[in-house]
Amino acid sequence: MTKLQLTLAIIKPHAVKNPVALSYIRNVIKNNFVVIKTKRIILDTEAAGNFYKEHVEKFFFNRLVTFMASGSIDLHIMGHVHAVELWRRMLGPTKVYKAQFQEPHCLRGMFGISDTRNVAHGSDSQSSAEREIKFFFPEFSFYNWHTNDEVRYRKGPIMFNNHLFQHVKKL
Amino acid sequence: MNKLKLFISQRSPAIVVSRFVTTKKKIHDPNEEEQLPIFQYPVSKSSDRRVYVWGLAETGALGIHMPRYKKSGKKAYKNNFNLVWHPMRSSFCERFDVLKIACGYGFTVAAVKTTEQHKVFGTGINTDSQIGYHAPRIGHPLEMLLSPAPIYIPYTSLETKITGLAAGRAHTLIQTDNEGVYSVGNNAYGQCGRKINPNEEYRGSMASHNIKSLGKEKIIDVCCGQDHSLFITEGGRVYACGWGADGQTGLGTYNNQGHPALVKGDVTSENIVKVASTADCVLALNDKGELFGWGNSEYGQVPMSNNQQQVNMSYALVNFTKGLGKIVDVAAGGSFCLICNEQGDVFVWGFGLLGLGPNVQHSTRPKQIPAPLFGRNEFNPDSMITKVACGIGHLAAITDKGDLYMWGRNRHGCLGLGHDKDQHFPLKISIGAHVLSVHCSVDHTVAMCKPFT
Repeated sequence: MTKLQLTLAIIKPHAVKNPVALSYIRNVIKNNFVVIKTKRIILDTEAAGNFYKEHVEKFFFNRLVTFMASGSIDLHIMGHVHAVELWRRMLGPTKVYKAQFQEPHCLRGMFGISDTRNVAHGSDSQSSAEREIKFFFPEFSFYNWHTNDEVRYRKGPIMFNNHLFQHVKKL
Repeated sequence: MNKLKLFISQRSPAIVVSRFVTTKKKIHDPNEEEQLPIFQYPVSKSSDRRVYVWGLAETGALGIHMPRYKKSGKKAYKNNFNLVWHPMRSSFCERFDVLKIACGYGFTVAAVKTTEQHKVFGTGINTDSQIGYHAPRIGHPLEMLLSPAPIYIPYTSLETKITGLAAGRAHTLIQTDNEGVYSVGNNAYGQCGRKINPNEEYRGSMASHNIKSLGKEKIIDVCCGQDHSLFITEGGRVYACGWGADGQTGLGTYNNQGHPALVKGDVTSENIVKVASTADCVLALNDKGELFGWGNSEYGQVPMSNNQQQVNMSYALVNFTKGLGKIVDVAAGGSFCLICNEQGDVFVWGFGLLGLGPNVQHSTRPKQIPAPLFGRNEFNPDSMITKVACGIGHLAAITDKGDLYMWGRNRHGCLGLGHDKDQHFPLKISIGAHVLSVHCSVDHTVAMCKPFT
């Protein structure tokens, strides 16, 4: 019995603003993952800078931070046996200009506009997923997840609530 | 009843007889041919324009989903399909005299010839009010329009004419003949040319901003990148505002710019006639046909000696383009640039499907795309390319004969070739008209044409 892994997906501002892209991405998410929490927020540059502080030395840091702070973003905590790897494979390569030729049918190849406007963010490992979830969902309890919720979401019964855009326990 | 039967039985031979009697041999009249009316097909005026659209239709950006005017039934729209594989004639543009067209990310705006209030129409994604405020139910603004609707702009005079249009990722610039430029849509980076308000709500916004003049000079051309705006004034000066994180505003900084400011560097002393930008790289052309560039250079679009990837000031690319002759048109895509010179030759550099072969490649020098691919052969030795355009990943060129050639990444069928496979070399697009200009967006394309006769 493999446990569910958690990952954080961030839908970036330009994809949230495009109803066609957003509905496609949401369909992909809800049909492949167990969505545990969903939230729509607007970042300010300071919070975005804190979130991406591992990139602070890179040349694209300012570009990434100002872009993430330019509009509302969707956050999803998603569960799957191989959540981290699966979500990153669905997204495709980070650089959109290369992704659109290497893997034309990945999400970035379909809806990305430039290397920064690359549709969505995915955690790159389990430890960074945990750090990122704690950053955006301080109220999310990993202790509770491992002891109670994980089994419920794995064994069910659960159903999808379209209004909340997350899976809930079926009563 | 018997009477009726009798009547019929008596009558029917008479009919047969009368048929024989009334049939006359036709006498040929020698003047008949002259007297016959000649059916005259209507001849189009020289001002007639046809607009063809193709690509992703699901966003409504093509404006082909016309209402059925019938509330009952499930289908509220006709032409309700997601993708248009081949160029399709837009019926909206048959009803109005369209002057200008611009394509943004998932939306299209068109300016029509009129002296009424509604001069500009928009269709497509409207999540940032980039095509105005449309609320059939009060308080519930539409986020997507499937057929064109007028954009309300508070013009001071109804005689005002629209002389230019430009659209970015989520903002629109409307240039008028004597009221300056109006901007609507998203201003998160200052791309509308007004002060940035971090908490502004753009969905359902009715705000429009008027830029009367820049440096006391009239604005004669506008251009939009994805999240920045560029203005050319009468004196050939270039102003920029919006997102500057890649240096695409050319102001010497990497900050967002609210009010349009003069682009620094080599263009300050030049008379600029054209600027081109689709994503984050900007090319400018002066009256002598020399090239300037700034902005994103991650794929060598604006080659610098120190391999700088974000060029925040304009630099002359005269040495880079040495030997290419006088440049007449420029286009800057996402990761490549495209230019054409006076002789009608096309040059391309950067990264992507450049049209030089079947492989995705990176070229650091301008390379010519062989002219025979654009129809220059021994039967047609003087065919030349006069205009070029770029989307994010696809490229287009128009010949002086009005033929449109396209190639590159075929995202959602935006090349109009009838399939969604990438195109490795320029291929003529089948449009039944003389193409005058082509406008490429991320996933759809619009061509303005005139009829052949």
